[in-house]
Amino acid sequence: MIMLVVALLAIYATNAHSEYLYGLTGNMAGTGHTWGMNIGPSGSQSLKINGVFYQYTPVKNTEDDMVVHVRNKRFGTNEYIFSSTDDWSGLPGGIPITKGFVIDNLPIELWGDGSIDVEGSGSVVDANVVYSYKYNNDCLTPMSDPSCSGYIDAVLSMMGESKIEVYDPLADENIADVIDEKAELDEEVQQEDDEKVKAKDRLQRMLSGVNDSILYANVSSQNLLMFAMSRSNNLNPYYDKKLAGGVYKETVILSGGELPDNAKGARAGLAQQLLHTEMVSLQYNQGD
Amino acid sequence: MKKLLIASLILVTHVPAYATDTPISGLVQTRCLITTDTNGVFGNPLPSKLSTASADGGVVPVVRYDVTLADAYLAKVTTPTAFSTSPSLSDSVKWTGSTAVSKTSDAAMSGYEAAKVTYGSTTQFDLTKAGSTWFSSTATAVYGVSKSFPGGSYTAIVLAECIAK
Repeated sequence: MIMLVVALLAIYATNAHSEYLYGLTGNMAGTGHTWGMNIGPSGSQSLKINGVFYQYTPVKNTEDDMVVHVRNKRFGTNEYIFSSTDDWSGLPGGIPITKGFVIDNLPIELWGDGSIDVEGSGSVVDANVVYSYKYNNDCLTPMSDPSCSGYIDAVLSMMGESKIEVYDPLADENIADVIDEKAELDEEVQQEDDEKVKAKDRLQRMLSGVNDSILYANVSSQNLLMFAMSRSNNLNPYYDKKLAGGVYKETVILSGGELPDNAKGARAGLAQQLLHTEMVSLQYNQGD
Repeated sequence: MKKLLIASLILVTHVPAYATDTPISGLVQTRCLITTDTNGVFGNPLPSKLSTASADGGVVPVVRYDVTLADAYLAKVTTPTAFSTSPSLSDSVKWTGSTAVSKTSDAAMSGYEAAKVTYGSTTQFDLTKAGSTWFSSTATAVYGVSKSFPGGSYTAIVLAECIAK
Protein backbone atom coordinates (compact mmCIF):
# COMPACT_ATOMS: atom_id res chain seq x y z
CA MET A 1 0.00 0.00 0.00
CA ILE A 2 2.83 2.36 0.81
CA MET A 3 4.36 1.64 -2.57
CA LEU A 4 1.04 2.41 -4.21
CA VAL A 5 0.75 5.74 -2.44
CA VAL A 6 4.29 6.68 -3.40
CA ALA A 7 3.61 5.66 -7.00
CA LEU A 8 0.45 7.73 -7.10
CA LEU A 9 2.27 10.68 -5.65
CA ALA A 10 4.94 10.29 -8.30
CA ILE A 11 2.33 10.17 -11.07
CA TYR A 12 0.55 13.19 -9.66
CA ALA A 13 3.78 15.05 -9.37
CA THR A 14 4.68 14.19 -12.95
CA ASN A 15 1.36 15.49 -14.17
CA ALA A 16 1.73 18.64 -12.10
CA HIS A 17 5.13 19.43 -13.57
CA SER A 18 5.30 22.69 -15.43
CA GLU A 19 7.80 24.43 -17.60
CA TYR A 20 10.73 26.23 -16.08
CA LEU A 21 11.51 29.87 -16.33
CA TYR A 22 15.09 30.97 -16.96
CA GLY A 23 17.13 33.93 -15.90
CA LEU A 24 20.54 35.49 -15.47
CA THR A 25 21.94 37.29 -12.50
CA GLY A 26 23.72 40.58 -12.72
CA ASN A 27 27.42 40.89 -12.01
CA MET A 28 27.77 39.22 -8.63
CA ALA A 29 31.36 40.49 -8.31
CA GLY A 30 30.46 44.06 -9.10
CA THR A 31 30.98 45.37 -5.59
CA GLY A 32 33.72 43.08 -4.34
CA HIS A 33 35.39 39.76 -4.74
CA THR A 34 32.97 37.94 -2.45
CA TRP A 35 29.22 37.69 -2.80
CA GLY A 36 26.19 35.91 -1.43
CA MET A 37 23.91 33.73 -3.49
CA ASN A 38 20.66 35.53 -2.85
CA ILE A 39 19.60 35.36 -6.47
CA GLY A 40 16.49 34.82 -8.52
CA PRO A 41 13.05 36.40 -8.33
CA SER A 42 11.73 36.80 -4.84
CA GLY A 43 9.50 33.93 -3.85
CA SER A 44 10.68 31.72 -6.70
CA GLN A 45 10.75 28.05 -5.84
CA SER A 46 13.09 25.23 -6.75
CA LEU A 47 15.67 27.54 -8.25
CA LYS A 48 18.53 25.68 -9.84
CA ILE A 49 21.85 26.96 -11.09
CA ASN A 50 22.57 25.75 -14.61
CA GLY A 51 25.50 27.91 -15.63
CA VAL A 52 28.38 30.06 -14.39
CA PHE A 53 30.13 32.65 -16.51
CA TYR A 54 33.00 34.83 -15.38
CA GLN A 55 35.47 37.28 -16.79
CA TYR A 56 38.28 39.27 -15.28
CA THR A 57 41.56 40.87 -16.24
CA PRO A 58 44.68 39.79 -14.39
CA VAL A 59 47.15 42.46 -13.44
CA LYS A 60 50.60 41.03 -12.92
CA ASN A 61 54.15 40.86 -14.07
CA THR A 62 54.88 38.06 -16.44
CA GLU A 63 57.51 36.53 -14.21
CA ASP A 64 55.33 36.48 -11.13
CA ASP A 65 53.38 33.48 -9.97
CA MET A 66 49.70 34.04 -9.67
CA VAL A 67 46.72 31.73 -9.36
CA VAL A 68 43.14 32.93 -9.47
CA HIS A 69 40.22 30.89 -8.11
CA VAL A 70 36.63 31.66 -8.95
CA ARG A 71 34.46 29.49 -6.74
CA ASN A 72 31.44 28.92 -4.56
CA LYS A 73 31.38 27.07 -1.30
CA ARG A 74 28.99 24.22 -0.77
CA PHE A 75 26.51 25.63 1.67
CA GLY A 76 27.30 24.80 5.27
CA THR A 77 30.65 23.18 4.51
CA ASN A 78 34.22 24.18 3.69
CA GLU A 79 34.08 22.34 0.38
CA TYR A 80 33.40 23.97 -2.93
CA ILE A 81 30.40 23.23 -5.11
CA PHE A 82 31.98 25.14 -7.98
CA SER A 83 35.60 26.04 -8.53
CA SER A 84 37.59 27.21 -11.52
CA THR A 85 41.29 27.97 -11.29
CA ASP A 86 43.43 29.97 -13.71
CA ASP A 87 47.17 29.68 -13.30
CA TRP A 88 48.83 32.84 -14.55
CA SER A 89 52.28 31.93 -13.33
CA GLY A 90 54.85 32.99 -15.89
CA LEU A 91 52.16 34.40 -18.12
CA PRO A 92 51.54 38.01 -18.99
CA GLY A 93 48.55 39.81 -17.57
CA GLY A 94 46.43 42.49 -19.05
CA ILE A 95 44.32 40.34 -21.34
CA PRO A 96 40.85 39.54 -20.04
CA ILE A 97 39.92 35.95 -19.59
CA THR A 98 36.36 34.73 -19.94
CA LYS A 99 34.97 31.31 -19.16
CA GLY A 100 31.61 29.65 -19.14
CA PHE A 101 30.49 26.47 -17.43
CA VAL A 102 27.36 24.40 -17.74
CA ILE A 103 26.12 23.29 -14.33
CA ASP A 104 23.90 20.29 -13.87
CA ASN A 105 20.94 22.13 -12.36
CA LEU A 106 22.19 22.21 -8.81
CA PRO A 107 19.61 23.57 -6.35
CA ILE A 108 20.35 27.01 -4.98
CA GLU A 109 20.18 25.58 -1.46
CA LEU A 110 23.53 23.89 -2.10
CA TRP A 111 25.29 27.08 -3.12
CA GLY A 112 27.24 28.97 -0.52
CA ASP A 113 29.02 32.31 -0.88
CA GLY A 114 31.06 32.96 -3.99
CA SER A 115 34.49 34.53 -4.23
CA ILE A 116 37.44 35.38 -6.44
CA ASP A 117 40.58 34.43 -4.57
CA VAL A 118 44.07 35.37 -5.73
CA GLU A 119 47.16 33.47 -4.67
CA GLY A 120 50.58 34.89 -5.42
CA SER A 121 51.54 38.29 -6.77
CA GLY A 122 49.02 40.18 -8.77
CA SER A 123 45.44 41.20 -8.70
CA VAL A 124 42.22 40.94 -10.60
CA VAL A 125 40.29 43.85 -12.07
CA ASP A 126 37.07 44.23 -14.04
CA ALA A 127 35.68 41.03 -12.57
CA ASN A 128 32.28 39.92 -13.81
CA VAL A 129 30.58 36.79 -12.52
CA VAL A 130 27.15 35.83 -13.77
CA TYR A 131 24.99 32.83 -12.91
CA SER A 132 22.25 31.46 -15.09
CA TYR A 133 19.37 29.69 -13.41
CA LYS A 134 16.01 28.15 -13.93
CA TYR A 135 13.08 28.01 -11.59
CA ASN A 136 9.36 27.53 -11.31
CA ASN A 137 6.75 28.60 -8.81
CA ASP A 138 5.16 25.21 -8.42
CA CYS A 139 7.03 24.16 -5.30
CA LEU A 140 4.94 26.07 -2.81
CA THR A 141 3.83 22.54 -1.94
CA PRO A 142 7.02 20.48 -2.01
CA MET A 143 5.18 17.33 -3.10
CA SER A 144 3.98 18.99 -6.30
CA ASP A 145 7.18 18.08 -8.10
CA PRO A 146 9.89 15.51 -7.36
CA SER A 147 12.42 18.14 -8.33
CA CYS A 148 11.22 20.42 -5.56
CA SER A 149 13.50 20.70 -2.62
CA GLY A 150 12.00 18.93 0.35
CA TYR A 151 9.92 16.60 -1.83
CA ILE A 152 11.29 13.40 -0.30
CA ASP A 153 11.06 14.75 3.23
CA ALA A 154 7.49 15.81 2.63
CA VAL A 155 6.52 12.39 1.27
CA LEU A 156 8.22 10.55 4.10
CA SER A 157 6.69 12.89 6.64
CA MET A 158 3.25 12.32 5.24
CA MET A 159 3.77 8.57 5.24
CA GLY A 160 4.85 8.67 8.85
CA GLU A 161 1.91 10.71 10.05
CA SER A 162 -0.79 8.96 8.09
CA LYS A 163 -2.41 5.65 9.08
CA ILE A 164 -2.78 3.49 6.06
CA GLU A 165 -6.03 1.58 6.49
CA VAL A 166 -8.18 -0.42 4.17
CA TYR A 167 -11.10 1.72 3.29
CA ASP A 168 -14.54 0.10 3.30
CA PRO A 169 -17.00 2.45 1.70
CA LEU A 170 -19.99 0.56 3.13
CA ALA A 171 -18.68 1.23 6.62
CA ASP A 172 -18.50 4.91 5.95
CA GLU A 173 -21.40 6.59 7.76
CA ASN A 174 -21.52 9.36 5.24
CA ILE A 175 -21.84 6.93 2.37
CA ALA A 176 -24.42 4.83 4.30
CA ASP A 177 -26.45 7.96 4.94
CA VAL A 178 -26.24 8.87 1.31
CA ILE A 179 -27.38 5.37 0.29
CA ASP A 180 -30.35 5.53 2.70
CA GLU A 181 -31.29 8.95 1.52
CA LYS A 182 -31.11 7.78 -2.03
CA ALA A 183 -33.33 4.78 -1.27
CA GLU A 184 -35.89 7.07 0.36
CA LEU A 185 -35.64 9.41 -2.51
CA ASP A 186 -36.22 6.55 -4.96
CA GLU A 187 -39.26 5.43 -2.99
CA GLU A 188 -40.63 8.94 -2.97
CA VAL A 189 -39.99 9.21 -6.63
CA GLN A 190 -41.82 5.90 -7.17
CA GLN A 191 -44.79 7.12 -5.12
CA GLU A 192 -44.82 10.34 -6.99
CA ASP A 193 -44.79 8.40 -10.23
CA ASP A 194 -47.75 6.26 -9.06
CA GLU A 195 -49.63 9.36 -8.00
CA LYS A 196 -48.87 10.92 -11.28
CA VAL A 197 -50.26 7.86 -13.07
CA LYS A 198 -53.42 7.94 -10.95
CA ALA A 199 -53.82 11.63 -11.42
CA LYS A 200 -53.38 11.10 -15.09
CA ASP A 201 -56.12 8.45 -15.11
CA ARG A 202 -58.43 10.74 -13.17
CA LEU A 203 -57.67 13.53 -15.46
CA GLN A 204 -58.39 11.34 -18.44
CA ARG A 205 -61.70 10.29 -16.93
CA MET A 206 -62.52 13.88 -16.14
CA LEU A 207 -61.59 14.89 -19.57
CA SER A 208 -63.72 12.09 -21.04
CA GLY A 209 -66.74 13.37 -18.97
CA VAL A 210 -66.03 16.85 -20.10
CA ASN A 211 -65.86 15.58 -23.61
CA ASP A 212 -69.28 13.90 -23.17
CA SER A 213 -70.68 17.10 -21.71
CA ILE A 214 -69.23 19.09 -24.51
CA LEU A 215 -70.67 16.62 -26.99
CA TYR A 216 -74.07 16.76 -25.26
CA ALA A 217 -73.90 20.51 -25.10
CA ASN A 218 -73.10 20.62 -28.76
CA VAL A 219 -76.04 18.38 -29.52
CA SER A 220 -78.36 20.49 -27.32
CA SER A 221 -77.17 23.69 -28.80
CA GLN A 222 -77.67 22.21 -32.24
CA ASN A 223 -81.21 21.21 -31.29
CA LEU A 224 -81.94 24.63 -29.84
CA LEU A 225 -80.54 26.23 -32.88
CA MET A 226 -82.64 24.03 -35.11
CA PHE A 227 -85.71 24.77 -32.93
CA ALA A 228 -85.07 28.49 -33.12
CA MET A 229 -84.64 28.28 -36.84
CA SER A 230 -87.84 26.24 -37.27
CA ARG A 231 -89.85 28.52 -34.88
CA SER A 232 -88.90 31.47 -36.90
CA ASN A 233 -90.18 29.76 -39.95
CA ASN A 234 -93.41 28.86 -38.14
CA LEU A 235 -94.11 32.30 -36.68
CA ASN A 236 -93.35 34.39 -39.67
CA PRO A 237 -96.56 33.47 -41.52
CA TYR A 238 -98.65 34.83 -38.59
CA TYR A 239 -96.89 38.13 -38.76
CA ASP A 240 -98.05 38.40 -42.32
CA LYS A 241 -101.83 37.86 -41.47
CA LYS A 242 -104.15 40.86 -42.04
CA LEU A 243 -107.69 41.49 -40.82
CA ALA A 244 -110.33 41.57 -43.50
CA GLY A 245 -111.92 45.07 -43.89
CA GLY A 246 -109.61 46.64 -41.47
CA VAL A 247 -112.32 48.55 -39.39
CA TYR A 248 -114.83 47.25 -36.81
CA LYS A 249 -117.64 49.78 -36.45
CA GLU A 250 -119.86 50.34 -33.24
CA THR A 251 -123.02 48.30 -33.68
CA VAL A 252 -124.84 48.95 -30.23
CA ILE A 253 -127.58 51.55 -30.33
CA LEU A 254 -128.94 53.18 -27.08
CA SER A 255 -132.63 53.70 -27.44
CA GLY A 256 -134.07 56.85 -25.82
CA GLY A 257 -130.63 58.19 -24.95
CA GLU A 258 -131.06 57.70 -21.15
CA LEU A 259 -129.83 54.96 -18.87
CA PRO A 260 -131.86 54.63 -15.60
CA ASP A 261 -130.31 53.51 -12.26
CA ASN A 262 -130.45 49.85 -11.42
CA ALA A 263 -132.54 49.86 -8.28
CA LYS A 264 -132.35 46.18 -7.87
CA GLY A 265 -128.63 46.24 -7.96
CA ALA A 266 -128.48 49.08 -5.49
CA ARG A 267 -130.50 47.18 -2.97
CA ALA A 268 -128.40 44.09 -3.31
CA GLY A 269 -125.24 46.14 -2.94
CA LEU A 270 -126.51 47.99 0.10
CA ALA A 271 -127.52 44.74 1.78
CA GLN A 272 -124.08 43.37 1.19
CA GLN A 273 -122.49 46.50 2.62
CA LEU A 274 -124.58 46.32 5.76
CA LEU A 275 -123.77 42.76 6.27
CA HIS A 276 -120.09 43.47 5.88
CA THR A 277 -120.15 46.30 8.36
CA GLU A 278 -121.91 44.12 10.89
CA MET A 279 -119.30 41.43 10.50
CA VAL A 280 -116.45 43.88 11.02
CA SER A 281 -118.06 45.31 14.09
CA LEU A 282 -118.48 41.89 15.56
CA GLN A 283 -114.73 41.46 16.07
CA TYR A 284 -114.53 44.64 18.13
CA ASN A 285 -117.56 43.85 20.20
CA GLN A 286 -116.48 40.34 21.04
CA GLY A 287 -114.98 41.35 24.40
CA ASP A 288 -118.12 43.15 25.64
CA MET B 1 37.35 -24.69 -92.13
CA LYS B 2 38.86 -25.99 -88.93
CA LYS B 3 40.85 -22.87 -88.41
CA LEU B 4 37.77 -20.74 -88.93
CA LEU B 5 35.82 -22.73 -86.29
CA ILE B 6 38.58 -22.38 -83.75
CA ALA B 7 38.69 -18.67 -84.34
CA SER B 8 34.93 -18.44 -83.83
CA LEU B 9 35.10 -20.29 -80.51
CA ILE B 10 37.79 -17.96 -79.29
CA LEU B 11 35.60 -14.97 -80.08
CA VAL B 12 32.56 -16.44 -78.39
CA THR B 13 34.32 -17.45 -75.20
CA HIS B 14 36.04 -14.10 -74.84
CA VAL B 15 34.78 -12.20 -71.76
CA PRO B 16 35.22 -8.44 -71.86
CA ALA B 17 36.95 -6.83 -68.82
CA TYR B 18 34.54 -4.44 -66.83
CA ALA B 19 35.73 -1.45 -64.75
CA THR B 20 33.99 0.11 -61.73
CA ASP B 21 34.54 3.18 -59.62
CA THR B 22 34.04 2.68 -55.88
CA PRO B 23 33.52 5.97 -54.06
CA ILE B 24 35.09 6.73 -50.74
CA SER B 25 33.30 9.36 -48.72
CA GLY B 26 34.37 11.05 -45.55
CA LEU B 27 33.47 14.01 -43.39
CA VAL B 28 35.93 16.29 -41.72
CA GLN B 29 34.46 18.31 -38.91
CA THR B 30 35.87 21.71 -38.47
CA ARG B 31 37.91 22.19 -35.37
CA CYS B 32 38.42 25.88 -35.95
CA LEU B 33 35.34 28.03 -36.08
CA ILE B 34 35.47 31.75 -36.80
CA THR B 35 32.61 33.94 -35.67
CA THR B 36 32.11 37.67 -35.90
CA ASP B 37 31.57 38.78 -32.33
CA THR B 38 31.18 42.51 -32.98
CA ASN B 39 30.74 44.36 -36.24
CA GLY B 40 33.00 47.37 -36.61
CA VAL B 41 31.93 50.93 -37.24
CA PHE B 42 33.97 53.77 -38.62
CA GLY B 43 34.10 56.96 -36.67
CA ASN B 44 34.85 60.21 -38.47
CA PRO B 45 36.80 62.39 -36.02
CA LEU B 46 38.30 64.47 -38.80
CA PRO B 47 37.04 65.19 -42.32
CA SER B 48 39.97 63.29 -43.69
CA LYS B 49 39.96 60.39 -41.22
CA LEU B 50 37.90 57.28 -40.67
CA SER B 51 38.75 55.14 -37.65
CA THR B 52 37.32 52.22 -35.72
CA ALA B 53 38.93 53.33 -32.49
CA SER B 54 36.47 54.06 -29.77
CA ALA B 55 38.34 57.28 -29.03
CA ASP B 56 37.49 58.34 -32.56
CA GLY B 57 33.82 57.47 -32.18
CA GLY B 58 34.12 54.12 -33.85
CA VAL B 59 33.51 50.52 -32.83
CA VAL B 60 36.30 48.00 -32.93
CA PRO B 61 35.41 44.83 -34.79
CA VAL B 62 35.94 41.64 -32.82
CA VAL B 63 36.26 38.16 -34.23
CA ARG B 64 36.27 34.96 -32.19
CA TYR B 65 38.18 31.78 -32.95
CA ASP B 66 36.88 28.59 -31.37
CA VAL B 67 39.48 25.86 -31.56
CA THR B 68 38.83 22.36 -30.30
CA LEU B 69 42.20 20.95 -31.30
CA ALA B 70 45.22 22.50 -29.63
CA ASP B 71 48.35 23.46 -31.54
CA ALA B 72 46.85 22.69 -34.93
CA TYR B 73 45.89 26.06 -36.38
CA LEU B 74 47.17 29.54 -37.10
CA ALA B 75 44.87 32.50 -36.87
CA LYS B 76 45.49 35.14 -39.54
CA VAL B 77 43.69 38.44 -39.29
CA THR B 78 44.16 41.03 -42.00
CA THR B 79 43.03 44.59 -41.55
CA PRO B 80 41.62 46.42 -44.57
CA THR B 81 43.76 48.19 -47.12
CA ALA B 82 40.92 49.45 -49.25
CA PHE B 83 37.25 50.25 -49.03
CA SER B 84 35.00 47.58 -50.34
CA THR B 85 32.34 50.18 -51.00
CA SER B 86 32.73 53.93 -51.01
CA PRO B 87 31.95 57.01 -53.04
CA SER B 88 34.27 57.73 -55.91
CA LEU B 89 37.62 58.75 -54.51
CA SER B 90 40.04 60.87 -56.48
CA ASP B 91 42.94 60.74 -54.08
CA SER B 92 44.90 58.07 -52.26
CA VAL B 93 43.92 56.58 -48.93
CA LYS B 94 46.49 55.72 -46.33
CA TRP B 95 45.55 52.71 -44.25
CA THR B 96 46.87 51.67 -40.87
CA GLY B 97 45.63 48.82 -38.70
CA SER B 98 46.49 46.38 -36.01
CA THR B 99 45.10 43.25 -34.43
CA ALA B 100 45.39 42.18 -30.82
CA VAL B 101 44.10 39.50 -28.50
CA SER B 102 41.22 41.08 -26.65
CA LYS B 103 39.97 38.16 -24.58
CA THR B 104 40.72 34.51 -24.01
CA SER B 105 39.04 31.51 -22.45
CA ASP B 106 42.22 30.13 -20.99
CA ALA B 107 44.99 31.78 -19.04
CA ALA B 108 47.56 29.96 -21.14
CA MET B 109 46.33 31.89 -24.19
CA SER B 110 47.55 35.11 -22.71
CA GLY B 111 50.86 34.42 -24.42
CA TYR B 112 49.32 34.69 -27.86
CA GLU B 113 49.68 38.43 -27.93
CA ALA B 114 53.39 38.38 -27.20
CA ALA B 115 53.98 35.62 -29.73
CA LYS B 116 52.05 37.14 -32.59
CA VAL B 117 53.75 37.81 -35.93
CA THR B 118 52.85 40.81 -38.02
CA TYR B 119 53.62 41.28 -41.67
CA GLY B 120 52.01 43.91 -43.81
CA SER B 121 48.46 44.30 -42.68
CA THR B 122 48.25 40.72 -41.51
CA THR B 123 48.74 39.50 -37.96
CA GLN B 124 49.27 35.82 -37.30
CA PHE B 125 48.63 34.02 -34.01
CA ASP B 126 49.64 30.50 -33.14
CA LEU B 127 46.64 28.85 -31.53
CA THR B 128 48.46 26.47 -29.24
CA LYS B 129 45.57 25.92 -26.86
CA ALA B 130 42.09 24.65 -27.33
CA GLY B 131 39.41 27.14 -26.50
CA SER B 132 38.11 30.48 -27.62
CA THR B 133 40.14 33.55 -28.43
CA TRP B 134 38.80 36.98 -29.29
CA PHE B 135 40.78 39.23 -31.62
CA SER B 136 40.03 42.90 -32.10
CA SER B 137 41.26 44.92 -35.04
CA THR B 138 41.59 48.61 -35.46
CA ALA B 139 41.61 50.24 -38.84
CA THR B 140 42.27 53.82 -39.79
CA ALA B 141 41.95 55.45 -43.18
CA VAL B 142 43.30 58.91 -43.96
CA TYR B 143 42.35 60.53 -47.23
CA GLY B 144 44.98 62.36 -49.24
CA VAL B 145 46.76 65.08 -47.37
CA SER B 146 44.16 66.38 -44.97
CA LYS B 147 41.57 66.04 -47.69
CA SER B 148 37.97 65.58 -46.78
CA PHE B 149 36.31 62.30 -47.59
CA PRO B 150 33.37 62.69 -49.94
CA GLY B 151 30.04 62.17 -48.30
CA GLY B 152 28.59 58.70 -48.58
CA SER B 153 28.78 55.23 -47.19
CA TYR B 154 32.09 53.53 -46.59
CA THR B 155 32.64 49.85 -45.97
CA ALA B 156 35.81 47.89 -45.35
CA ILE B 157 36.47 44.24 -44.61
CA VAL B 158 38.62 42.54 -41.96
CA LEU B 159 39.71 39.16 -43.24
CA ALA B 160 39.97 36.40 -40.62
CA GLU B 161 41.41 33.03 -41.59
CA CYS B 162 42.15 29.81 -39.79
CA ILE B 163 45.12 28.06 -41.37
CA ALA B 164 45.98 24.48 -40.50
CA LYS B 165 49.61 24.08 -39.47
